[in-house]
Amino acid sequence: MNKVIQANLGGIAFTFDDEAYERLDDYLASLDGYFNHSHGHNEIMHDIEARLAELFSANLKGRSIVTTEDVSAAVATMGSPEDFGIEADDLEEETFEQRSFGHQSRNRKGGKQRYSRYGKRLMRDPDDTKLGGVCSGLAAYFGIEDPLVIRIAFVVAVVFGGFGVLPYIILWAVMPVAHTAGDKLAMRGEAIDVRTISKQVEEEFSNISSKLQEWGDEVSKTDWSSKFGGGGKRRNQKRNNQEPHDEGYMV
Amino acid sequence: MKIENTKAQLRKGALELVVLSIIQQEEEAYPTDIINSLKKAKLIVVEGTLYPLLSRLKNGALLKYTWRESQGGPPRKYYSLTEDGEAFLTELHSSWRDLVDAVDTTTKSLSLS
Repeated sequence: MNKVIQANLGGIAFTFDDEAYERLDDYLASLDGYFNHSHGHNEIMHDIEARLAELFSANLKGRSIVTTEDVSAAVATMGSPEDFGIEADDLEEETFEQRSFGHQSRNRKGGKQRYSRYGKRLMRDPDDTKLGGVCSGLAAYFGIEDPLVIRIAFVVAVVFGGFGVLPYIILWAVMPVAHTAGDKLAMRGEAIDVRTISKQVEEEFSNISSKLQEWGDEVSKTDWSSKFGGGGKRRNQKRNNQEPHDEGYMV
Repeated sequence: MKIENTKAQLRKGALELVVLSIIQQEEEAYPTDIINSLKKAKLIVVEGTLYPLLSRLKNGALLKYTWRESQGGPPRKYYSLTEDGEAFLTELHSSWRDLVDAVDTTTKSLSLS
């Protein structure tokens, strides 16, 4: 048995299965991010939603629930931001240079400040530090895979006349720390959208879980069994017995 | 240098002219009808690229739309050309003719297998 979700798409009420709804929601969010800076952003989204509704209605043919297959088919017809690529309509006659350089760039037509989605920022990387994360931040900024290269360069500069110390301190003071997932993407110059942010968050979770794993290993070295008299083993047996029942849900 | 990119650029360049022409011929066109014509002519690959174009042409006062009731569904947007749109299309079409002639003349003597 699966949960279903009711939603209004382009003025029509649909019933989605849980997973289909999640997929569609992610997809719409990615489009929303893509068209975010264009004139008529709301109108474009509205038109696209109306078209998706039409595609679902045509596809359902009397079925009552929109499935992930329906969503996938509609997404394939409509296309994802990655598919738009070169076919994309130039939303704001934005030049390549404006997109690529500078985190904040000035929009020629409107003259208003806006954030470029592809800007790269020089920031310290808190996940990969030997001292202050300056070297790993620099490595990310210049697209060097291994920050060790920069670290060696600094160490060499320090050894030969102590020249590296002052620049390091200045950079440490000047470079902000990349705290959020968005910051870390900006540090590496990756586009900030739903896909990359979710990837970043997943990476952070796997970091945490590997740290927990290490901690768990340490804990397991301690001899707990003498204290609890093998209670854990009994619990496991009980869980095993329950499993066949868990598998027996209706599909 | 990918040939697909260049081909896409060519299609993209012609898209405004084609979309305006379709709307003019239909007098009033529903985006889905425009999409079907474009797909038949193999001028677009994914539909998502049409909506920003329509929105931009509308904001540029070349297109206008009216809402119409539909059978058993929500109201639909029907696009038609404004006076500016008509003039724009005429001008664009004659430039297109010139361009086609120019390209034909210069590529006429190409010996291709």
